[in-house]
Amino acid sequence: MAGADTQAGLARRQVLGRIALGAVLPALGGLATPLQAAELDTEGPGERETSAALLRQMFPHGALTPAFYDEMAGRYLEELAARPDALAEHRRGLALLDASYIAPFAQLPAVIQRALVARVDQEPFFTAYLMRGAELVYRDARVWDELGYEGSSVEYGGYLDRGFDDIDWLPGAGEMQ
Amino acid sequence: MTTYSLEDSSVFVVIGSGAGGGVLSRELASRGHKVVCLEAGPRLTLGDIVNDETEMFNKLTWLDPRMATGKPDPRFPVWGCKTVGGTTMHWTGACPRFEPHEMRARSTYGDMPDTTLVDWPVSPEDMAPWYDKAEIRMGVTGTHGNPHLPPGNNYKVLEAGARKCGYTDMDTHNMAINSVARDGRPHCRQLGFCTSGCALGAKWSTLYTEIPAAEETGNFELRPGCMVTGLEVGEDGRIASVTYLHEGQSVTQKARAVSIAGNVVETTRLLLNNRSERHPDGLANSSGLVGRNYMRHFTIQVMGVMPGKVHFYRQTHLAGVVRDERAHRPERGFAGGFLISTVPFTPEVLAKNMLVGGWGRDLTRVLDKYEYLAGMLLTGEDPPQRSNAITLHPEARDANGLPVPVIHYEDHPNTIAMKEYAWKAGRRIYEAMGAEEIVEMGDYIPATHNMGTARMGEDPKASVCTPYGRTHDVANLFVSDGSLFPTSGGCNPTLTIVALAMRQAEHIDGELRAGRL
Repeated sequence: MAGADTQAGLARRQVLGRIALGAVLPALGGLATPLQAAELDTEGPGERETSAALLRQMFPHGALTPAFYDEMAGRYLEELAARPDALAEHRRGLALLDASYIAPFAQLPAVIQRALVARVDQEPFFTAYLMRGAELVYRDARVWDELGYEGSSVEYGGYLDRGFDDIDWLPGAGEMQ
Repeated sequence: MTTYSLEDSSVFVVIGSGAGGGVLSRELASRGHKVVCLEAGPRLTLGDIVNDETEMFNKLTWLDPRMATGKPDPRFPVWGCKTVGGTTMHWTGACPRFEPHEMRARSTYGDMPDTTLVDWPVSPEDMAPWYDKAEIRMGVTGTHGNPHLPPGNNYKVLEAGARKCGYTDMDTHNMAINSVARDGRPHCRQLGFCTSGCALGAKWSTLYTEIPAAEETGNFELRPGCMVTGLEVGEDGRIASVTYLHEGQSVTQKARAVSIAGNVVETTRLLLNNRSERHPDGLANSSGLVGRNYMRHFTIQVMGVMPGKVHFYRQTHLAGVVRDERAHRPERGFAGGFLISTVPFTPEVLAKNMLVGGWGRDLTRVLDKYEYLAGMLLTGEDPPQRSNAITLHPEARDANGLPVPVIHYEDHPNTIAMKEYAWKAGRRIYEAMGAEEIVEMGDYIPATHNMGTARMGEDPKASVCTPYGRTHDVANLFVSDGSLFPTSGGCNPTLTIVALAMRQAEHIDGELRAGRL
């Protein structure tokens, strides 16, 4: 069992090497994608619907509505509008998802969507969307509310009198000595 | 506001305003010496500090181009800050001392292949009074009558689990964060996510402690937005002046003596990039060791989904420590040791770190338990390797026309063995507390702990600087940052940088008064 745990841990850490560095670098993605007022034809057939459904497969939270994923997908597509090469790559990726089955990706059952996404999860369009998508989704205050993160605390005087030490399920101090 | 003429050759020029440069500036100015401090970054105020890591990353981080070979990710191979206060604007506030055995690394650990392990040229006994002075200056909790910070949730989980594992040496750590109002600054109010700046100023940073104190002496001028590009050597072999870029203009300041405190990368670049007939391989580099022996501590993490809510974000970033694994016990399979501390993550950073494990439910089932997460940081000693080095790219230039630094780093086998052990030790702590799921995360993001590239020592062939941080080769050129460290120890470097800078200042004061500088 310990061996299996170690293997799992190693695997996780090895995968990390490929994509994890963005973790503390939210700014770099932003710097690399300056928004420009470019007039581009961003309307592929079902492009936004497919992007939203894909984002939900990446970051599925039961508490978040389809409208939320649609909004974030829309913001991502707006950003891509300023970067024609990235937009083309994204569209190529979406086409892989949409072309495989009898219905468009967004209309497929979740279990089939997952299987389809697993086939493309090493594609550059996917990893780019995954990293930027994590920023879009997890910097949103509505998501913080759902997850239970309270955001900036300085305006409330910090947590000193608001639960920084309120843990109630630990064994009593006597047991811990 | 004191200002000095560019022609004033009696000023001591300090390059950098962080833990090393900020402290040295104040110490020299308060002893009556004229100091000009050149800082590449802007001067922020407390009002610029917000309780948001992402926003602060943009404000503080040195984002000029760097390259990498070996292990570091070329997109962000090294972390430093370009702002008045330097990396004291991005630090946890943790202030452990080096352990005596770490300052005697070569004697304690013995032969370690492919390393340049040495003993420090300063003994632990000699350092002790300077550590005292540094702790008093910074108001370090748990020292000199400063109370510890109170224990919060994330620490309480760590402590309880550690005790179940048999560990005994733990508390809320020695932190340069006010536990009571002190030094004109308030006490900590547990804002959370305060590594990238304390919006209240409860955590020590030279921005609002040493720099204004230096200004009050009337012997100090801070020049922000000044990127040093050159150190000019006179016919007598001494540094005669310092040249810097300010708002696109090249400016030259004459100098009596100079100290560089650019958090290793910039210190190295400045030395290596100033080549001349007298210094063909870069300033103060007759040993060939400038940029060599680059060290950084690993910072790996373990997170646990706990059986009850923790709210790990509701307190200081590094809210407590377990020290039991810091000792040197070679039976564990490695030399030296590591510290176990707490760490929280914002949902954004956690998600991006977790992309490791994949996307979909693998990721979100942990994020959905955000309130239940406890987190720990494991930080350990990095042995010096000559091959780990900062060099200058032969062709690539940045916007200032300076050669781009290239960071080469690989983990030593000792480090790999220590990390594997540390992950298991961390996992065991949360398992002991009944964690439903445990996530291990790697050290692909560098700490701001940069050390070793201008090591001090007695032998000019085997070190760059003297035991007081003066370069062996140039009589009036000093180094005042983590570059001086001959070995890295198993702990955060800032307290030691401050202690060395205070010690160095007393030495420089004596030299100036004796007319030797």
